[in-house]
Amino acid sequence: MDDRIKRIYVPMTESGFYILFCLKTPNHGYGVSRQVKSLTGGSVTIGAGTMYGTLSKMEQDGLIRFVSEEDKRKLYQITELGREVLDAECARIERLYRNSKGEKFDA
Amino acid sequence: MRKTVARFFTVADYEEEEIWLREQHKSGWKVMKVIPPCFYVFESCEPSDTVYRLDFKNARATEDYVQMARDFGWEHVADCLGWLFFRKPADGAAAEGEDELFSDNASRAEMAGKVVRTRLVPVMVIFLCCVIPNLLNAVRGSLGAMSGFFAAFFGVMFVAYVYLIVHCGLKLKRIREKNRG
Repeated sequence: MDDRIKRIYVPMTESGFYILFCLKTPNHGYGVSRQVKSLTGGSVTIGAGTMYGTLSKMEQDGLIRFVSEEDKRKLYQITELGREVLDAECARIERLYRNSKGEKFDA
Repeated sequence: MRKTVARFFTVADYEEEEIWLREQHKSGWKVMKVIPPCFYVFESCEPSDTVYRLDFKNARATEDYVQMARDFGWEHVADCLGWLFFRKPADGAAAEGEDELFSDNASRAEMAGKVVRTRLVPVMVIFLCCVIPNLLNAVRGSLGAMSGFFAAFFGVMFVAYVYLIVHCGLKLKRIREKNRG
């Protein structure tokens, strides 16, 4: 992961995290938004513009790749680089969580 | 029945434009087409509360974006100069948090930033490299017999550009700051 990717995506926005996380399995924009809604009990909703913009940017930066098209819907899936970014984010979030519980975190 | 209305919104006034289109729809006029620089073609319709949202892509809507928006309940209405117009019925959408194209501050600020980079910066370049030098030449009288005319012309341009740059610059800055969180 180069510095540019790190600067943009670590830390990333909540929507960005959920989108990347959900693309561990191939999905299209609306499918991802439904999944995020159900995962978070409706506390995180992602709008169409935010979804489209994030997917375009992540594809451009190589975090996800276009897999196939179904009825004009583009399906995307996470790449190796995307997984690296996601792992870095998960480690960061785990540190935050443990620290917030008063525990020490050793990377 | 159709009507065409001329109404000018600067690149920084898209939130006002959304409200205006919503009011039009409430009074029974739905926009069908937007013609540059400032013409809106409306068709009479059943009055209803319909949310309008604009996205700036600096390009026409792609098929997959239109499809995705449709999945989210948005009807793609028109494209105009890189702006994409969408609408959806207001009932229930607000309660579900689904009456926005952009659901977080980061993406709202990013869109405003894109407007600045691709619209406002070129205007500033034209202002600095064309309007100001020509105005100075005309005032100095170095544009020949027509200098008086050119001085007046570029004088008007100067005022219009200053207004546009200051108004849009401040407004887009405010939108970006509001969304910085």
